[in-house]
Amino acid sequence: MTLTATSFDWVRQLVHRESAIVLQPGKEYLVEARLLPMAQQRGLSGVSELVESVRNRPDPAVTRRIVEALTTNETSWFRDGDPFTALTSTVMPQLVAARRPDERLQIWSAACSSGQEAYTIAMLLSDALPNATTRVSITATDLSREMVERTRAGRFSQLEVNRGLPASMLVRHFTRAGNEWEIAPALRRMVTASECNLAAPLPRLGPFDVVYLRNVLIYFDLPTKQGILNRVRQIMRPDGWLFLGAAETTLGVDDNWERVVLGRGSAYRPKKGA
Amino acid sequence: MRALVIDDSRAMRRIVGTILKDFGFEVREAGDGQQALDVLQEGKAESWVPDLCCIDWNMPVMDGLQFVMAVRANPEFRQVTLMMVTTESETGQIVKALAAGAHEYLIKPFTADALRDKLALLGLLPEGVSA
Amino acid sequence: MTLSQTQPITELLDAATVQSICDEVWPSLVGDGEAFVPVPVPPPAELVSAWVDIIGPWTGSVVVTCAPATAEALTESVLMTRPPTVVDDEDVADALGELANVLGGNVKSVLPGESRLGLPQIGPAPARGRLDDVRALVGQWRGNYLTITVQGTAPHPSGTEVPQ
Repeated sequence: MTLTATSFDWVRQLVHRESAIVLQPGKEYLVEARLLPMAQQRGLSGVSELVESVRNRPDPAVTRRIVEALTTNETSWFRDGDPFTALTSTVMPQLVAARRPDERLQIWSAACSSGQEAYTIAMLLSDALPNATTRVSITATDLSREMVERTRAGRFSQLEVNRGLPASMLVRHFTRAGNEWEIAPALRRMVTASECNLAAPLPRLGPFDVVYLRNVLIYFDLPTKQGILNRVRQIMRPDGWLFLGAAETTLGVDDNWERVVLGRGSAYRPKKGA
Repeated sequence: MRALVIDDSRAMRRIVGTILKDFGFEVREAGDGQQALDVLQEGKAESWVPDLCCIDWNMPVMDGLQFVMAVRANPEFRQVTLMMVTTESETGQIVKALAAGAHEYLIKPFTADALRDKLALLGLLPEGVSA
Repeated sequence: MTLSQTQPITELLDAATVQSICDEVWPSLVGDGEAFVPVPVPPPAELVSAWVDIIGPWTGSVVVTCAPATAEALTESVLMTRPPTVVDDEDVADALGELANVLGGNVKSVLPGESRLGLPQIGPAPARGRLDDVRALVGQWRGNYLTITVQGTAPHPSGTEVPQ
């Protein structure tokens, strides 16, 4: 079944609204090619059926996947570099000073996709802290089982490692495995991946010192955003740090956070007594 | 911003050049390492020094690795950022290029987004373009 | 080292790896949404090839072969030309050669040991060597015949060419 004009139009408007990217008429084949695997995974016969099902039963997770499938082929490693610069320049030094040497620092990459964010953190910290592999543990979660499995595997295609991963880090932390690149075993052991739906009550996780929750909130309505921020705060240390996407904020959503400017970006910390 | 795109394939020069122009670069081209050194020398007369060189590896006359070493040996071009853009993709080759003085390494094939990510890493993305 | 001592390409490179290389090369070099589809179609009467040599523990060529019209369409797609811009023969040789170069470099990187990559060449496909030293993917692009052949070098390079 081919993509109907109505379905294409709906996808086009969605992508424009969420990403400001304009899908020109004539890109129907692209929509078809990128979304067909998603439709088939859900047991639907075609892309128009996928669009119909989301229109009838709105699901932010599916909407997010649609936008992702059409806007980015691959996640960048140092996507919006500021939250990573802040991690090594400010956040980690403070946490290392505040915690006992035998205390594990716990970092959460919520909505980890195929693992680039979690492994970026692992690489940075293994370069910055002499005992990072035993001192830090990184929890990577995603709604999609496929993404969780990809994160666990720690294998990336050539196109994926081309996306914003510094060449010096590629050669230090990855080895070739056929046509793919595999993360070093010591770094893979720092990362534990599991499934997690942020819009539902959270499984037992944490408590976290640092949370990366980037480019997730934009897909949800206000009450859901509030629910997510509230649940995240419950499993964070009182002096922990939250990083959101560049276009996201807690302001006007949840008053229990304090915004801190870090370099060119910002982070959020649980408000005292909240 | 100025860029010199060095590749023996004019299709590849056009692809890389077009993406760089979209980011506001003024682009010159060379078909091999020797031609590229000539462009650099000629540019000096008009104070044209590139901010970035995108360098293919396998080229006739002078290959990309030799070009990197020649540029690094000349203090006049200390400010120029050198990025390999090549289909050579073994770890050993990447290490060799970095050791010779290349700052970054982009593996062919690549997308426009991948080139943009590298520019962002190198601090060569003009303001107003989001990383 | 003689050719008989090296492993044939069929032992070193499987079809799935070549396809996975194509899956990366087509959308990024040929164009967004483009694909090499490994479903054979009948070959056209006239063929043109571009290739690069790999020289190392395994020595041979990575060859892209298609009809001249397909090569021209590939070039237009790689260069993103729009009518009335037309591509000339030099453009076609260059673009098909670069396609062979990018495929060749990626094939080289999955082969064991250190190898060197030659510069792209265009013309009638080079002679094949041992019959078991060939990994060929026969398929299509936009419905047109196209093959990617990774083939060992003929033992006597000066010998007569084997018709493809």
